Amino acid sequence: MKTSKLLGALLGSVLALGTGIAPAQAASTDIKIVLPEEADLLEPCMATRSNIGRVIMENVSETLTELDVRTKKGVMPRLAEKWEQTADGSWRFHLRQGVKFSDGKTFGAKDVKYSFDRIFSDKNICESRRYFGGMKFDVNVVDENTIDFKVDPVQPILPLLLSLVTIVPEGTPLEFVREPIGTGPYKLSNWTPGQQIVLDARDDYWGTKPAVTKATYLFRSDPAVRAAMVQAGEADLAPSISQVEATNDKTDFSYLDSETVYLRIDGNIAPLNDVRVRKALNLAIDRQAFIGTLVPQDAVLATALVPPTTLGWNPDVKVPAFDPDQAKKLLEEAKAAGVPVDTPITVVARTANFPNVTEIMEAIQAQLQDVGFKIDLKFVEVAEHEVYYSKPFKEGRGPIIVAAMHDNSKGDPSFTMFFKYDSKGTQSGYSDPKVDDLIARASAATGDERAKLWSELIAYVHDDLVADVALFHMVGYSRVSERLDFKPSIATNSMLQLSEIGFKN
Amino acid sequence: MLSFIRKRAFASLISLIGLLVMVFFLSRLTGDPASLFLPVEASAEMKAEFRALHGLDQPLLVQFGQYVGNVLTGDLGESLRKARPALDVVLEAFTWTLWLAVITMTLVTVCAIVVGSLAAFRTGGFFDRFSSMVSLIGASVPDFWLAIVAIVVFAIQLSWLPTSGTGSLAHWILPICVLFVRPFGIIVQVVRGSMITALSSAYVKTARAKGVKSGPIIFVHALRNAMLPVITVIGDQAASLLNGAVVIETIFGFPGVGKLMIDSILQRDFNVVLAAILVTAFAIFLMNLVIDLAYALLDPRIRY
Repeated sequence: MKTSKLLGALLGSVLALGTGIAPAQAASTDIKIVLPEEADLLEPCMATRSNIGRVIMENVSETLTELDVRTKKGVMPRLAEKWEQTADGSWRFHLRQGVKFSDGKTFGAKDVKYSFDRIFSDKNICESRRYFGGMKFDVNVVDENTIDFKVDPVQPILPLLLSLVTIVPEGTPLEFVREPIGTGPYKLSNWTPGQQIVLDARDDYWGTKPAVTKATYLFRSDPAVRAAMVQAGEADLAPSISQVEATNDKTDFSYLDSETVYLRIDGNIAPLNDVRVRKALNLAIDRQAFIGTLVPQDAVLATALVPPTTLGWNPDVKVPAFDPDQAKKLLEEAKAAGVPVDTPITVVARTANFPNVTEIMEAIQAQLQDVGFKIDLKFVEVAEHEVYYSKPFKEGRGPIIVAAMHDNSKGDPSFTMFFKYDSKGTQSGYSDPKVDDLIARASAATGDERAKLWSELIAYVHDDLVADVALFHMVGYSRVSERLDFKPSIATNSMLQLSEIGFKN
Repeated sequence: MLSFIRKRAFASLISLIGLLVMVFFLSRLTGDPASLFLPVEASAEMKAEFRALHGLDQPLLVQFGQYVGNVLTGDLGESLRKARPALDVVLEAFTWTLWLAVITMTLVTVCAIVVGSLAAFRTGGFFDRFSSMVSLIGASVPDFWLAIVAIVVFAIQLSWLPTSGTGSLAHWILPICVLFVRPFGIIVQVVRGSMITALSSAYVKTARAKGVKSGPIIFVHALRNAMLPVITVIGDQAASLLNGAVVIETIFGFPGVGKLMIDSILQRDFNVVLAAILVTAFAIFLMNLVIDLAYALLDPRIRY
């Protein structure tokens, strides 16, 4: 963390001395993209993991539907042309015809069924399975281009959930594969582990031909080097660079990246089981003071764990005011009522979780201590962080707050709320009947009713339960070569559709 | 000589076994790979299935027994994350590291011996003071800083070399130059110290007295005697390069074994960690053997 910051500052200062941007690569429709980490697999059913998804999601492997995050049209057709819900709550999908996999096979309903069965196979651990926990599927091939999904309990957002399931041809090995076959506009043509992954555009793609004909992915851990590569013309796009590198208006863009930083409170243990104490935590932190200092200028103060573009995000929920006096008063009240507010609270944060995490957490610790909290700040590695963050929580633990970052770019709060607040949620520090009820009802609802219930839940969690301390919706920075016509979006963290990239000339 | 090699091989085998046992159990103490492989939202059942799929649900001793059994048949297991044999992953990375180490150490050895010997020949002279300054700077400069400055100057400002990566000979220049600096600085100092002692010894005076020229005095008479401590330090430096140059690999995007090892430890990819440690340990054993044999070659008093 320290090292990369130092490197960044150094590189930034040297560049500021007045070097011009190197001329962009010769006019060509081949591009190079430099990513922070290499994919360890190119497994389609793992494409919801960002290091894999950024390479293959919708480039090599396509889904039945996709979420439109740019023009906010909601769930759009991809391999499915249209869909409808039948009277019994099951869904019928009409598939696109004339689609071929890159191995020449024709795409059809049987492939969709196979892809679904493959996810649930015991020969692999597909990550996308996690979106279907507690659901029973009955998938029926009606004809070559029609497929029915009967799900128990009924899933009103099944079309959205299907934007996370990549389709592989029938007969793909059940074990993880390293060479994906898909229906997408590109096919994998070379993977030299540790060095590069190359995708080539397909001639027989069913959809509009993308402008980029070939994409080479390179991997560099250091953000300063990634930024330097675009500047030196060795790469055209670095989707994530650090804030210190993002100094050139012409090539560097910030984007709300769907990550939300928050303090997860374990509301089962005193004194954190007292709502006054939780309110005091919220009032003691001067969130605005972080913006433009330790947190990037373009970051947004959060009132929920989902970004404002999400269905049901509640504009009436306000960021708590910074009011240390009120916080002190609440603590005194709680103390008078017999709440052990003097008990030291452990705040657990993850090293290198997000930029400036050390400084941010130390500042928060100081602000909490100013109003009378006793705070032990503890930094741990990713693996140990998980032990504090997820259930089963340790028996006999003290009061614990976990600083964490949550990502939801998927447009619906269901990917967040159950896990973070339901009694059975893996990272939930509460068992509140009203929360459970709202989550259950919102998950089953559709349309405006769904949005209304999510809004209600967001307000209840924030204002009444005061479940946690929401802090910042974070931003990411990309460096894009001047020859490319591309703006990063809220989805850039998890996927990078080459078809969205154009050329300026 | 052969019996010495046999003895050394046997001793090293015992160390290797000890290392294997220790790393096997210590790495498993770090926790459960399932929670790192799967996202935080994954259910307990998914995590349990992951463990069952990779045999991590078995008692530790059973896992160890299976692992040892597999190792004896030459199977170091599969990478938990990459779905390919751990040994393939490691050997691929180790080849890059080995080349980097061999080229760098060859250059370092030749340059350091020449510079150190010449510096020792006229102690306190201009060349001595100049080379001491350069080598001290070399021994103490932080490599990550040097790497990034080298990228800024040679790749961005001058556009002579690529910033990072692999693919052509030009890609090797910056990593090798940056890796060169520290061992060079250290070994020059050792050569110089050792040569000063050698050059003031009685046999050098005798050689001078009988009219031997400066060149042969330095490089034939004194150097051979001064080499023993130098070889020890060269071995030490080479061993650290064989373990992978993590910082350099990270900055230059060089796919070596150091970064692989660190990543595998952080991701709890146990089989890759074990394979990487076995491969590097074996390489270091071979190198130490060569160094021991070199001692005997240089100093006839040493007999095995």
